[in-house]
Amino acid sequence: MSLALLVPLFLLGVAGVVVPIVLHLTRRQRRNLVQFPSLMFLEKIPYKEQRRRRIHYWFLLTMRALALALVAIAFARPFFQQDTAGAGAAAGPREVVVLMDQSYSMEIGDQFDRARDEARRIFNGLGPLDRASLVMFGRGARVVTRSTADVSQLERALDTVQVSSSITRYGPGLKVAQTILEESELPSGEVFLLTDFQRNGWTGDEGIRLPPGSKVTPIPFADDAPDNVQVTDVSLAREALSGRERVTPTVRLARSGGEQAQEVMVALEVDGRELQSRPVTIPPNGSATVMFQPFTLSQPHTRGTVRIPDDGLLADNARNFVLSPGTSLSILIVEGSAAPRDASLYLRRALAISEGGRFEISFRRANVVRQQDLDGIDGVIINDANIDGGSAERLRGFVEAGGGLLLLLGPASGWPSSAAEMLPGTLGSVQDRIQGRGGRLGFLEYGHPVFEAFSGARSGDFTGARFFRVRGFTPSDSATVLARFDDGSVALAESRYGRGKVLVWTSTLDNFWNDLALQPVYLPFAHRMSEYVGGRTEALPWFVAGQVVDLADPEALEMAGLVSAEAAGLAEGLDQVALTPSGQSVVLPVGEGPRYLPLEERGFYTVRPPGSDPDRPFVIAVNVDLEESILGKIDPEELVAQIGTAAVGPDSGQDFAQATEMRLEDMERRQSLWRWVLIAAFALFVIETLLSNWVSRRSGVPGVATG
Amino acid sequence: MTAHVRTPATGKGGTQFLDPAVLGRISNLELLAKTVVDGFLTGLHRSPYLGFSTDFAEHRQYMPGDDVRRIDWKLFARSDRHYIKLFEAETNANFMVLLDVSKSMSYSSHEVSKLDYARYLAACLTFFSHRQRDRVGMVTFDHEIVEYVPPSMKRLDTILHVLDRAEAGRAGSLHEPAMQIAELLGRKGILVVISDFYEDPDTVLASIGPLRARGHDVIVFHVLDPAELAFPFEEPSGFEDLETGEQIPVIPNRLKDDYIRLVKDHLEKLKRRFTDNRIDYTLLDTSQPLDLALFRYLLAREKAGKTR
Repeated sequence: MSLALLVPLFLLGVAGVVVPIVLHLTRRQRRNLVQFPSLMFLEKIPYKEQRRRRIHYWFLLTMRALALALVAIAFARPFFQQDTAGAGAAAGPREVVVLMDQSYSMEIGDQFDRARDEARRIFNGLGPLDRASLVMFGRGARVVTRSTADVSQLERALDTVQVSSSITRYGPGLKVAQTILEESELPSGEVFLLTDFQRNGWTGDEGIRLPPGSKVTPIPFADDAPDNVQVTDVSLAREALSGRERVTPTVRLARSGGEQAQEVMVALEVDGRELQSRPVTIPPNGSATVMFQPFTLSQPHTRGTVRIPDDGLLADNARNFVLSPGTSLSILIVEGSAAPRDASLYLRRALAISEGGRFEISFRRANVVRQQDLDGIDGVIINDANIDGGSAERLRGFVEAGGGLLLLLGPASGWPSSAAEMLPGTLGSVQDRIQGRGGRLGFLEYGHPVFEAFSGARSGDFTGARFFRVRGFTPSDSATVLARFDDGSVALAESRYGRGKVLVWTSTLDNFWNDLALQPVYLPFAHRMSEYVGGRTEALPWFVAGQVVDLADPEALEMAGLVSAEAAGLAEGLDQVALTPSGQSVVLPVGEGPRYLPLEERGFYTVRPPGSDPDRPFVIAVNVDLEESILGKIDPEELVAQIGTAAVGPDSGQDFAQATEMRLEDMERRQSLWRWVLIAAFALFVIETLLSNWVSRRSGVPGVATG
Repeated sequence: MTAHVRTPATGKGGTQFLDPAVLGRISNLELLAKTVVDGFLTGLHRSPYLGFSTDFAEHRQYMPGDDVRRIDWKLFARSDRHYIKLFEAETNANFMVLLDVSKSMSYSSHEVSKLDYARYLAACLTFFSHRQRDRVGMVTFDHEIVEYVPPSMKRLDTILHVLDRAEAGRAGSLHEPAMQIAELLGRKGILVVISDFYEDPDTVLASIGPLRARGHDVIVFHVLDPAELAFPFEEPSGFEDLETGEQIPVIPNRLKDDYIRLVKDHLEKLKRRFTDNRIDYTLLDTSQPLDLALFRYLLAREKAGKTR
């Protein structure tokens, strides 16, 4: 038996015994302490040194130093080491993590069942001291059972898992495994990766670093890629006919694999009833398009599915969608009384040209906006009007409540200073750009919804428009400049105000100050800007599995297909119950903050208040992410090599060292000598203090031990 | 490649957005970077988004210095004006900022600390490069790597977030992080190193040289506070090293000339070593606007053949 230290590094603290001496000898006045990045270049110029005082009471100093040394020794955690011969002779217990892929590509053949059997075999092979976890992963990762030695519990958990509608991402699962291994106290770890090793699930940027001594064992379950036909897209063209909306579905199919052309029957179901079916022939590794006859869309939340017969991969054989009859945006155009008679002609004509009456235009020719003018209006366009203070206050309330306001600046435009903070800047004087052939638009913020549609090549050319006259505009700090002319001056600026937004276009939208109205891009630009001002959100016919919808967010609900009033009602309404495609109920109680509904299954989610059974409940369609249908494989060894761990065997020296380390720690914990050493140090401090006070009273000199 | 970098008119136009004291009042880094880059580019009168590749995007008015081969003569025949054809640029290169967040970077003798200045600069360059459609990444380090964001087209927000929360806390040393970074970066790219380089120039070169040797285009910005260059102290004081906590008494009047000489020697030696290794080196004073750094970056990119 010998005395040992668990953390000998703390013995460096013994050096602290010199602190009282050094303080005594070197204590000097320091004034004006200046913090400086580095003293690398500064020469050391000491002050004139003080007279060093002599040490009179060595025994007091010795007691202090001894007490400090004991504190350092206590922190080094001393213990009596017993014979450890034979320690580590046996391999240490393992922390086993079984990562099991549940993405929908695992449903090919019997891959998932084989993976389940393999996981069961791993659990049955655990040693008596081993612990194991079961982690299912797809887009994310879920710990089903965490670090247990109970094999029966692990097997019961295995019976409950099933294939999901998710895609494969190795990163989250491996991160969870990394966390489990890092938190484990067992000396070695092993990760079993049970998957079909799809290449799409690994980017190489995951940054996985398993703890040293961990081992990854890949177990692939990839069958040969089957002959797979998938519904890749459904286009839903709408047209208004006799006041009713008709939808023409066009379906695109793609086929991977195969050796001969194959005829596939494509069926269109609406509200659970098959309406039409069309045969189509698809060549090997080719694609085909099917157009169905139009059907009338009269009911909100109409459910539709395009389906093809079952093949090797079932999840991509159907595409679900939800449609509701469209609604129009109410736009108020206010034209100044002094503006030219045709100032809004082009704008009104442009907004009148839309499929299915997307815009409902009301018009007012005055400099005053009344409250009744704003009732039921989604967006207001002020076209070259000199707005008075009262109108500006009414518009302020309109914008604060979530409305949109667009100012088109012309010669007569004006805005009261009392509401100047509403605008994204201050208006300036009229500026002529008659040099050459006028000004051009030089910069557009293509990331903004107004210009997003024009961001692609050949998607609209704004450079053809010439601007001969603009109003000066100085943007404020909080404004976002969305467009600039080629001289850098502002063309379009935006700022948020309350729940709404205010945009300023510094020229007109007629053909007097510029010829933008004569350009092909004018019509889509006027539509996009009006839709943005009116707050229209494009409804998505379907979501992708893995996305999340916030039922407390009206904008998200509008995107999911609800009209504004419905969305606001649902967002602020009572508790909601969502029914998943598999029939599970998810209660979403009303309250502060978001109400997230995770869309994890493919099919239709139905949302309704609890206890009610409306005829047309709010429905969300969910489809699988087709990225998972690309069945390219990654070499398991390549993936393991990128994970960043060395495959260390259970009998390696590192494991042995770790196991030994743990036993020493246990030994020290049982003895806990540090407590006694610390008590001794404390006692020494007390005695030294008492002695010091006694000596100082006798000599009348404070702190005589070290000065 | 036809990019020509011009110096904007001084004191007006875009440069008003580049004053660090003004930028210090903008708390949102993305807004800051956008303000600087947009203001800077407006001053340049050049679009950063489009280049000459294969996919036609739109026309732009011909500017002196543009390649005349790019003029669309058919459009000239129709409109009597010179336009050049712009094309969708392709993703260029990996752009990586290596930002020193050692404790010494927290020093400031005025409103803007060295770390703030370096953050603004890093945000602007990253934003700029992201606009250039480069994959952008970020490493913050002191004596080891603190944060690592791999290069990607989609991680601008992550980088700005990392920059936003970057704090100078520990002692710094370039060697170990540089070795780790050299291992992390597989693909050649543009590396921007922002630091105050309080190390021996030979040590600095031994750390950064391997990055250059691996084929990266390395651009070094040496950020110093005006007080570190001019040593304007007068009162005898105790000086404390921000990183080590070491304190020494100093009488500035006796020491000032020697200090300035040593700093000057250090800077010259650094510059010479970097230049010998074909590394672009720029000394930045935190009281000066950011335009010098942005211009140096553009020049370096132009030299490297990566501008459009």
